[in-house]
Amino acid sequence: MANAWKIARKSSAQLPLVIVIALAVVLVLLGKANSGIFDQARMRITDWMAPALEAARSPVQGVGRWMGSITEIFSVYEHNLRLKEENARLRQWRNVAIVLQNRVDRYQALLHAVPDPKMNAVLARVIGRASRPFLQTMVLDAGKDDNARPGQAVMDARGMIGRIYLTGERTSWVILLTDLNSRIPVSIASSVNRGNAVQAIMTGDNTAMPTLAMVPGTVTLHAGDQVTSSGDGGLLPAGLPIGTVVADGAGGRGAAGRAPPAGRGGGALPSPPPAGGARRGPPPPGGGGGPKPPGPAAPPAGARRHPPPRARASGGQACGQAACARRAGGCGRRRGVGP
Amino acid sequence: MTSLDRSAAPTRLKYLVALVPLLCGLAGAVIANIPVSLLGGLVPPPLLALVPVYFWCLVRPDLMTPAATLVIGFCEDLLSGGPPGVWTLSFVLTYVLVARQRDSFASLSGAAAVLGFAAAASVTCACAYFLIAALYWHLPLLAPILSELAVTVLFYVPAAMLVGAIHHRIVGPLRSDI
Repeated sequence: MANAWKIARKSSAQLPLVIVIALAVVLVLLGKANSGIFDQARMRITDWMAPALEAARSPVQGVGRWMGSITEIFSVYEHNLRLKEENARLRQWRNVAIVLQNRVDRYQALLHAVPDPKMNAVLARVIGRASRPFLQTMVLDAGKDDNARPGQAVMDARGMIGRIYLTGERTSWVILLTDLNSRIPVSIASSVNRGNAVQAIMTGDNTAMPTLAMVPGTVTLHAGDQVTSSGDGGLLPAGLPIGTVVADGAGGRGAAGRAPPAGRGGGALPSPPPAGGARRGPPPPGGGGGPKPPGPAAPPAGARRHPPPRARASGGQACGQAACARRAGGCGRRRGVGP
Repeated sequence: MTSLDRSAAPTRLKYLVALVPLLCGLAGAVIANIPVSLLGGLVPPPLLALVPVYFWCLVRPDLMTPAATLVIGFCEDLLSGGPPGVWTLSFVLTYVLVARQRDSFASLSGAAAVLGFAAAASVTCACAYFLIAALYWHLPLLAPILSELAVTVLFYVPAAMLVGAIHHRIVGPLRSDI
């Protein structure tokens, strides 16, 4: 031991330390200037680890499902009643959607309008999720072989949850909307003044609620306003449902809802309504002027009447066992993997 | 010739054993960064790679060299998916602190040893936090990094026991003249 201490305490031993610190600083600067090299290495590692991740995912998912079933067994009856009610409501919404779709088709035919580009999807499984202090990502089992490309939107049953930022041959890394680096242009449809859409930037901050920034100062957002992708910049298609506006809890701005964590709920169930916040759910199938949807979502109790323009949007939290990459005119359907 | 072979085999073994701290650090980075969470992502994974760095920096600094720390930190960066170099620099700076204050850290035992590791881990997390703040030009939330620190300290005791066992069984007996 004494010998080792002497080795470390020799003055010449300080030289590698300085070099190593310099190398580490160079790595930081190099990563900032050009992260492509590191990204390629990451993708190679992830591709290589994909079978192991898929193998590891099954028992973890099984344990989670088993633990969830223990708690849920006591509330099966209530769940059943709630699901029946929700099912009935969704059937009514489906009828409304069909009526509105027919109307849109008729208008488009009358106007000889160019139809919207078809969005193709690739179904993929979430085989891993990294929830680090400065990072909210997940790994999908679809890569370049499945025509997944960086920039494509990733959706689960509730709407858009992120976008692909790295693709390997068989896997992709997804940056979630809640990630610190996530910034996407969104459109906010007012639930009060129908037809007035507000453009904003949704920025992630590693919390469950991304923030809506760059909202014009003259605009008042209301809890329950629907947030969709605006399509500005051409990277993402417009109109992808993202979530709803909830009042910001800071400084008496209201409360924010929390989406269920990954691996729970199968990705299909909406998050429970937050206290004083807004309910997350599918956007209404029609904007202003359409038929009144049955059982409209009431304004959330406790939401401020005039919240400040800066607000948060619920959603963006990955919960899905399955996700799909979408892009206008993008990748074709290659395969379907159910959750 | 026979005697030469006999002496060469243990030397090779010694050099292999000298890699054990580095391999433990790399294994810690890999295990902590497997993107599968038992708790559904509620709790961040611990910085398991920091435990071998801290442990062998105190016990055998000749085996846990600055270069080995750099490699472990780089592996952590590569696997965690964050901006490259953040954990590398944080690990190296922590190594510098621990190496400079080796007398103080090495004399700790029991709960104080955990506190000593907590102090080192705090330095790592603080470095990473401020590096991220500098790279993204705004201060991230403190809660996630604090929870990562808490989880890392929580995992220190079992991880240190494992690392200690590896040290005593594999590295310890051959520590004389590597």
